[in-house]
Amino acid sequence: MKLLRTFFWAAVAFAAAACLGGIALFHGERVNSVWLVVAAGCAYAAGYRFYGKFIAARVLALNDLRATPAERLRNGQDFEPTNKWILFGHHFAAIAGPGPLVGPVLAAQFGYLPGTLWIVIGAVLGGAVQDFIILFASMRRDGKSLGQMAREEIGKAGGFAALVTVLLIMVIMLAVMALVVVNALRGSPWGTFTIAATMPIAVFMGVYLRYWRPGKVLECSAIGSALLIAAIFGGRAVAVSPSLAPWFTLSAMVLAWALIVYGFLASALPVWLLLAPRGYLSTFVKLGVILMLAVGILLVRPQLQLPAFTRFVDGTGPIFAGKIFPFCFITIACGAVSGFHSLIASGTTPKMIAREGHALPVGYGAMLAESFVAIMAMIAACTLQPGVYFAVNAPAGVLGAAPEAAAATISSWGFPVSAAGMADLARDAGEQTLFARTGGAPSLALGMARIFAGGTPFGAGGRAVIGFWYHFAIMFEALFILTLIDAGTRVGRFMLQDLMGHAWEPLGRTSWMPGVIGVSAAIVAAWGFLLIQGVRDPLGGINSLWPLFGIANQLLAAIALCLATTILIKMHGLKYVWITCAPLGWLVTVTFTAAWQKIFSPTPAIGFLAQAAQLDASLRAGTAIGPDGTVHTLILNARLDAVVCGILLLLVTAILLDSLRVWVGILRGVREARLRESPFVASRLRAEEL
Amino acid sequence: MRQLRRLGKLAWALLRELADESAYQRRLEATGRPDSAEEWRRFTEERYQARSTQPKCC
Repeated sequence: MKLLRTFFWAAVAFAAAACLGGIALFHGERVNSVWLVVAAGCAYAAGYRFYGKFIAARVLALNDLRATPAERLRNGQDFEPTNKWILFGHHFAAIAGPGPLVGPVLAAQFGYLPGTLWIVIGAVLGGAVQDFIILFASMRRDGKSLGQMAREEIGKAGGFAALVTVLLIMVIMLAVMALVVVNALRGSPWGTFTIAATMPIAVFMGVYLRYWRPGKVLECSAIGSALLIAAIFGGRAVAVSPSLAPWFTLSAMVLAWALIVYGFLASALPVWLLLAPRGYLSTFVKLGVILMLAVGILLVRPQLQLPAFTRFVDGTGPIFAGKIFPFCFITIACGAVSGFHSLIASGTTPKMIAREGHALPVGYGAMLAESFVAIMAMIAACTLQPGVYFAVNAPAGVLGAAPEAAAATISSWGFPVSAAGMADLARDAGEQTLFARTGGAPSLALGMARIFAGGTPFGAGGRAVIGFWYHFAIMFEALFILTLIDAGTRVGRFMLQDLMGHAWEPLGRTSWMPGVIGVSAAIVAAWGFLLIQGVRDPLGGINSLWPLFGIANQLLAAIALCLATTILIKMHGLKYVWITCAPLGWLVTVTFTAAWQKIFSPTPAIGFLAQAAQLDASLRAGTAIGPDGTVHTLILNARLDAVVCGILLLLVTAILLDSLRVWVGILRGVREARLRESPFVASRLRAEEL
Repeated sequence: MRQLRRLGKLAWALLRELADESAYQRRLEATGRPDSAEEWRRFTEERYQARSTQPKCC
């Protein structure tokens, strides 16, 4: 039996190495997506079996005899021992957001190979390790948050810097995600109607749950899902109606203001009316679509059309500027290493773990599942013809406004595409145009639509069903981005109130309405400002905002890994410190390089300050494109982006130095190496309770 | 077949957990109160209040 098991794992490891080697070395011809699926699946299995179990057994010494907070503090609600597979699903649903879908689509501008390798290797050696250790740490500390643990284990300065960093990241994230939705819906009456319809559907669900059938969430979500499908069909009718279509054909600026107003209202309305029902609906649709995509890829087994590497590895990419190092590694965050996961791993999940051993499948395993979602997004994007991929994702500022000129520009890069072909594709998708639909969501929706159309009995209908599936995918992406925006604005409000309460006590009170309204407005104004800036940007906004978001998210991961390293040093000295220091060192190198280039690069497409200087020079020379007021705003925006990037760097440098001070103190014996874990209590949980 | 049934049960339990139906059931059992519209409202108010302070992942 042992021999058989050894043989099995050797075969899995060999398959992972062979498939990864295959796609890395033989990239002269078209590659089938199954290679990526097998390479990723086997690498995850081997990583989980060997590296994950090694960390669980040797490094963290998970002990099933030790009672978890779910058992000791059991209250039937937050603290409740939960079956490990249910908790796995719960945790996965919490960490899986739009990031792992959008990031890989944007990073595909370098080709499928760099992003795929980073997603697989980054998740196994970095992302899953971070999630697992932070989950373990929180579980051993009664479910404390990342900020609380940083304050206790590193110091007060580190804890405060972590709180400010999280708040800044939240604002950037909300702006960039809102921009993805704006770019997906502008000029699209079908998409705009479908997304607008999700709001009355959510309100209907809220009223249904509160007054008609209290507690029947699954029943209500099933009705809500059916209404969502009806809304997609309704959107088609609206798009072809000469009287209704103009009402839902909105410019990017109008959509941005609509989202800003929505964000403010959603953070002020009662949670049960909009936020909670939308949250339920979004979770179920998200899980269902991810499952559908996995099945679709296995059924259709599409060929990858994008090459392994494109010419844009040299930093001249039209979607975002910058070389493969460091920009590929900050563009894909959530599918490989995401700092945001550390907030979830120190939130609800540690309060529901029944046995310490379950932290491995939940913490490490769920991150691998999220990484697989990123691989599926990469596959969906790479199944598009390269010319189509660049036509959809490159901004009008690069391509030119006229379809013929845009097609000629893309063809000159070596990726043939025609204006007529793009017009046909837009007609199939039920859109007016698919040129310059930046943000990643439309190209992902196109790729998903092809996979879904090819994997269903209606596949024979081909072009006729592409429009439905395209808008289904747009609805799916926009639905949970809007959920992120409304919930994120609310969370941001609580964080800012927490911070401002130190300055003036009434501002910290969540029941004081002037404070609530004022702080909500401040949060919405902060991300709304960045959103408007993105909409005005002639390069589409994604070029500047997505890297800023990637840098911020990876810097948060660096904070989480600083905490994890501190805990490992307190537990074992230097023995196992490489487990967290290797990904920490890589992330610090990548993010500091990227942030430095974003601020100081002399290339205007990359460096914020160079961009501001170029605009300033063009204004003085009288060659600026657009009204003077707009150019002044763009200059201010570029300088502001540089300042935000600089603040993030300073904050993380402060946390790194503070952590180093603690590590050196412990290793030299001048600082106490006391872990702030809860005391050991023997578990009395019976097997049938798991 | 048994494995499939077990998988189905797990999936259903996961859906109930994500929908907060299991948590509500546990609360009823813990407090000994009967299921009612008022009780559900109380439960959701506490739960949503706690949840709305936790960040959502990107």
